[in-house]
Order: sequence, then structure tokens, then C-alpha cells
Amino acid sequence: MAESILLLAGGLIFLGALCGVVRLVLGRTVVDRVVAIDMLTVISISLIALYAHVAGRFVYLDVAMVYGVLSFLAVVAIARYLKGGV
Amino acid sequence: MLELFVVLLCLSIIASGILAIRLGGTLAAAVSGGLASLFAAVCYVLLGAPDVAMTEASIGSGLSTLIFLYAIRRTGNAKE
Repeated sequence: MAESILLLAGGLIFLGALCGVVRLVLGRTVVDRVVAIDMLTVISISLIALYAHVAGRFVYLDVAMVYGVLSFLAVVAIARYLKGGV
Repeated sequence: MLELFVVLLCLSIIASGILAIRLGGTLAAAVSGGLASLFAAVCYVLLGAPDVAMTEASIGSGLSTLIFLYAIRRTGNAKE
């Protein structure tokens, strides 16, 4: 039961990543691409957290945490650039 | 299962590298470079190196995108 739920979660993560990549490739404006990047970052954080549970190593949750903070920083930097200053 | 995930992530790194060339805009290229290092960080986690992944996430995805944007703004060569 738990195994099938984890497998389903992995499949959903890759489905979401596929949707994000499609939006990134087809994105008409830069803003679409930035939102797609942010979505892919959240999907990657969920993948790291899932793997931390599967592998039983909870050090990986620290990586997910640092990743979340810094991806937020990158998106804020891009937003400031689009507004007109860095 | 793990090998499949690692191979998919490596293909994603290659795809985002090609995307950075083909999208035809400096800002889009910088964003695609950040995407490549994002996938690389996840790949490092899956291969069992969480400290390398943390450094890659902070420098590759955060700091280098920021410095690229700063350089594009300072040189004034921004192209959509």
C-alpha cells in the first residue's frame, strides 16, 4: 500500500515536471518562463523530500529547505530585473 | 528505479542546455541556465551528495542567475 502510494507520488511529480517543461518551452513571454521555473523548483523540492523519505536519510530535507529559500531569491531577482533594476 | 530517475534528470540537463541556445533571448538563456543547475542539484541529491547539492543550489541556481541578470543590465544588451 505504502509502496504504491510512493510510486504514484513519483509519477505525479514527473507529470508535473513535464507540464512545467512544456510551459517553459512554449512560453510566449519571459514571465511565463519565470513562473514555469518557479513551479519546477517546487516540484524538485517535492522530489527531494520524497527521496528523503524513500531512502530514509533525513539529511536531504536540509537540502530541500536551503533549495526553497534560494530559489525564492532567484525568482525575486528576476522579478526585480523585469521591473527595471537589479 | 533510481537509475531511471538519474537518467531522466541528466536528459533534462541536456535539454535545458539546448533550450538556452535555441530560445534566442539573453534573459531566457539566463533562466534556462538556472534550470540546468536546478536539475543538476536534484541529480546530486539522488546520487548521494547532499552537501554538493546544497552548494549547487545556492551558487548555481541563485547567485549565478543574479550575477547574469546584473551583467545583462549593466551592459545594456538585453534582448527579449
